[in-house]
Amino acid sequence: MTLALHLYRRIMRRGRVIGLLALAAVPGLVFWLSAFDAPESDLTTLYTDVLASVGYTFAIAALILTTATLRDERDSGTLPYIYMRPIARTNMAAQSIASGTGAALVIGVGGWIASAVALLAVGGDMEAAIPSLSLFVAAGIGYAAIFVPLGYLVPRALLFGLGYILVVETILAFAVEGLAQISIWRISLSIYAGLEDGFGEVATQAMTPVTPGVWGGVAKLAGVLVIGLVVLTWALRKRDAL
Amino acid sequence: MTDTIVVTNLSKWFGLKVAVSELSIGFRPGVTGLLGPNGAGKTTLLRVMSGLQRPSQGEVKILGVDPRQDTEIYRKISLVPEDESVYDRLTGREFVALAARLAKIDHPLERAETVLDTVGLTDAADRALGGFSKGMRQRAKVAAALVSDPEILLLDEPLNGADPVQRAQLIALFKRLGAEGKTLLVSSHVLAEVERVSDRVVAMVDGRLAAVGDVATIRAAMTDKPRRIYVDTTDPRKLAAALIAGSDVLGVQVDGGTVHVETRDAGDLARRLPAIAIDHSIAISKVEPVDESLESVFRYLVEGR
Repeated sequence: MTLALHLYRRIMRRGRVIGLLALAAVPGLVFWLSAFDAPESDLTTLYTDVLASVGYTFAIAALILTTATLRDERDSGTLPYIYMRPIARTNMAAQSIASGTGAALVIGVGGWIASAVALLAVGGDMEAAIPSLSLFVAAGIGYAAIFVPLGYLVPRALLFGLGYILVVETILAFAVEGLAQISIWRISLSIYAGLEDGFGEVATQAMTPVTPGVWGGVAKLAGVLVIGLVVLTWALRKRDAL
Repeated sequence: MTDTIVVTNLSKWFGLKVAVSELSIGFRPGVTGLLGPNGAGKTTLLRVMSGLQRPSQGEVKILGVDPRQDTEIYRKISLVPEDESVYDRLTGREFVALAARLAKIDHPLERAETVLDTVGLTDAADRALGGFSKGMRQRAKVAAALVSDPEILLLDEPLNGADPVQRAQLIALFKRLGAEGKTLLVSSHVLAEVERVSDRVVAMVDGRLAAVGDVATIRAAMTDKPRRIYVDTTDPRKLAAALIAGSDVLGVQVDGGTVHVETRDAGDLARRLPAIAIDHSIAISKVEPVDESLESVFRYLVEGR
């Protein structure tokens, strides 16, 4: 795991981590602000609604981190130091995605802690916070699986990734069901919804047309992971590294 | 001696730009200098050889293996990239130890110490690479490349930024490695240093092979190119008149007490000069060929295309 640790340390620069933790904490902050006058009985549904609709900030944080995993190495010209090593390309791809996932999870857990603290601060039921961890974890894994390969393959991966999150996931997926079914955010929400009975109306709509279900969502995520691994392995083998 | 690197009909293009064109060559153990102007394709050739870029056409075999097919070959080949970038936040020791771990070396820390000592960086090993001078960075990169004790070492402008003492040390190191039977390919635009370090020179122009051999061989192969010789004499006008009568002399120019001679056959001129001096009672104090340096050879190669 030397490579994964190296890549992880490289992308988790202090300034970047602080900024992205702040971005991932936005849903918690929004919930805290919007829950001031809400009745206690509505807190759980409001909590799910805010996470589902504002949680895209975590998606953007994950995008910034995970596209940087190999892109930083390519752009700075240091890729030869890791590429020219006796590491099988499948192994290299797996370690790269693992480091991106780890970094995204650190930020995701930070975002989750912020939202849980906000829930606690307004007197909400902490039991409602626990299932929401699955949203951040699933989204972190899913986004790493697609954005680490994207970062390696495309010079402007951040722009393409933003396009995916802001256009495909938030606009096109409402119109095209096929796209919705492979939307990382919706898959992650479906896992969360499978663990949380009190899903709000906004949250349910944000997940539509994907239906709640832990194992279905996990299976889709596993599929996305395999595809990400295959694509990155192919890219490492077949594409120019510099 | 068999070739450790075999390049066959290699071409590499980026869109419409051809960086390397139909190049076939083999490299044996020892130090080979890779020369060429900017854009000649040296860096691209090294990148393709090291598997960082795939050939558009043709193939590269490193010790009989395609580097893009078998990553185990990276136990035997290393590259010192031209790019100055290193991991600025790592110390020299951490950088080399990381290279050792990624290369799956037993006892990576001990090996890192050894190669840091080899390149003379032990004293600075605990400083961050971001604070290193350019020459120190080059040495750190060389140390990272040496950590796996590779049979083949590709060095892209490894002497860039090094001060004269560092250059001398690196050149001595490269020569020693070459003498130990390793294959070193050193790309550089510091021609005098390539002359000092290389047993053999490969010149590239516009992505093509312009010449291969030692400096004298390359120069001898260029029989159609005139050679310039300065002759210091007591009577330059009389000497110039005598020289121009010879069929091998293309032109003469008098500059004070020196005659600048352009000849297509320096050997014949060398044989005729003593006779001319005796016949015309001219004293000759100095004969100096002025275009024997690698730089002039290289300039001819570039201009001749």
